[in-house]
Amino acid sequence: MTRQNINIFALVLVGVVAFGLPLVLRSPTYLHILILLYLYAYLTSSWNLVGGFAGVLPLGHSAFIGIGAYASTILSLQYGISPWLGMIVGGILASIVGVLIGLPTFKMRGAYFALATIAFAEGIRVMVENIDYLGPFKINGPRGFQIPPTNIGFVNYMFNGKEPYYYIILVMLLGILAITYFISRSKLGYYLNAGGEEPEAAMALGVNVARAKLIAMAMSSFFTALAGTFYAQFTLYIHPKSVISLDLSFEIAFIALIGGRGSIAGPVLGALLLRPVSDFSRIYFGATLPGLHLIIFGIVLILVMIYQPRGLQEPLTRVYNRLLDKIFGGTVKKEITHENS
Amino acid sequence: MKILEIKDLVKDFGGLRAVDSLSLSIEEGEILGLIGPNGAGKSTAFNCIAGVYPPTGGEIYFAGEKINRSKPWNLCKKGLARTFQIVKPFSSKSVLYNVMVGSFATTDKTSVAEEKALKVLKLLQFEDKKDERAGNLTIAERKRLEIARALATEPKLLLFDEVMAGLRPAEVDEMVQIIQNLRHQGITIFVIEHIMRAIMALSDRIVVIHFGSKIAEGSPLEVASDENVIKAYLGDEYVVS
Repeated sequence: MTRQNINIFALVLVGVVAFGLPLVLRSPTYLHILILLYLYAYLTSSWNLVGGFAGVLPLGHSAFIGIGAYASTILSLQYGISPWLGMIVGGILASIVGVLIGLPTFKMRGAYFALATIAFAEGIRVMVENIDYLGPFKINGPRGFQIPPTNIGFVNYMFNGKEPYYYIILVMLLGILAITYFISRSKLGYYLNAGGEEPEAAMALGVNVARAKLIAMAMSSFFTALAGTFYAQFTLYIHPKSVISLDLSFEIAFIALIGGRGSIAGPVLGALLLRPVSDFSRIYFGATLPGLHLIIFGIVLILVMIYQPRGLQEPLTRVYNRLLDKIFGGTVKKEITHENS
Repeated sequence: MKILEIKDLVKDFGGLRAVDSLSLSIEEGEILGLIGPNGAGKSTAFNCIAGVYPPTGGEIYFAGEKINRSKPWNLCKKGLARTFQIVKPFSSKSVLYNVMVGSFATTDKTSVAEEKALKVLKLLQFEDKKDERAGNLTIAERKRLEIARALATEPKLLLFDEVMAGLRPAEVDEMVQIIQNLRHQGITIFVIEHIMRAIMALSDRIVVIHFGSKIAEGSPLEVASDENVIKAYLGDEYVVS
């Protein structure tokens, strides 16, 4: 048995458990927590396409969640178009906005880029909060939209109970992880990594760094917007503070940095670790200490950045490999991978 | 055939003229050396050729095509590759990963890129380090990695910017050997170097620049005995007249 086989086996096992979980876990509260966990893992994985591979730190991704949520909600409430179609429209719209934001900002380095993306996202939020109509579309300002749960059914992206949402977001998460996997092994992945680490050297080796980053940004904002539609259909209530807030952008970045940006497993690990903290602190301390989870995130982030600057995926991968060595001993053939090194 | 031709190249940085009407050309298959005291404008000239800086004036032709405003990545795809004086490895990645970034210049497929990269590493006797993280390499290995990456783009013309600086004498000899082997593969080489022993042994022709302009050109022997060159390097009092 080679190590690759063991890894595939472990992945399949995790997949089976994930798909089987709702059959065992009947509590809607726990399902809700898991759905949010997957949602954040999905969001962070989408963010990772640009924030991880391209080596920049975008802190305004909630703008794309908002675009996705608003596009599909407006189209379905005001024009009767299925949210599934609205989701695609939102995705395309978000990638256009993403590229427009990327064009001027990718020339900036480090903190300046991060600040510029915050500014864009906040600008979009303030705009949405202050306008009621955008051309023929009703935006409804700070009040947002309530989606009446009247037409339940697949076409309307609306279901009774939480299980269907659970499976939708699980499939979306698996999809984005597969896409991330393929990109990391493709020319684009190599070019993004190279351009993020040493742009000058990358350019001399034939990499059009700006173009690679814009492609990554377009994809990242597209997939982020899909989650916006999911969020809208899941909670049936959106308003600027909930879908375009800075907190949301920061939480995505927190999860990525703590889990390990630029790796495939990092966003999932980060979400697995941080989402429960966030949920349980809200359940137990929501009334007395609101925002406690952000303080915990901050402390964890500081510790991780000091001791494991490449995120928790690195030591965990090491532990996993050592564990396999212990269990299977010499029968395991080591296969060195370059992708995650 | 002239693979590279520069006519009256000028590069200003504000009020400073770093390169002053420099003209030179390289024949296909040749090794041309570019020397000059520190600050003479060698690297600036290289950067103009490689598309990093747009020239202030003059013309640059690569394989007959004017490339004044071409971007580095397009030049690379046309067959002009370069190394950096201050090495710039993708430190967190393996040596193989680094070289593969170069070999993607001529292919879109990962498997082909890996194959090409392995071939280059073999050529440079660097295979044993392929899984090493580039950040852990010694300076000599990093210089070699620079060459490997540039070579992986399958260039017609290679610009080497001080690939031997900081190497021990034995390593310099090895590098001279590597560069001579590359020439036998049909690659034209334009090299900036400070180590005289190496550049004298390597070059077919040497161009000497000082304060941005050419002061001498010729075979290594001619250049070494040129009065202007001795003045530029050592000062007026060393000229035997």
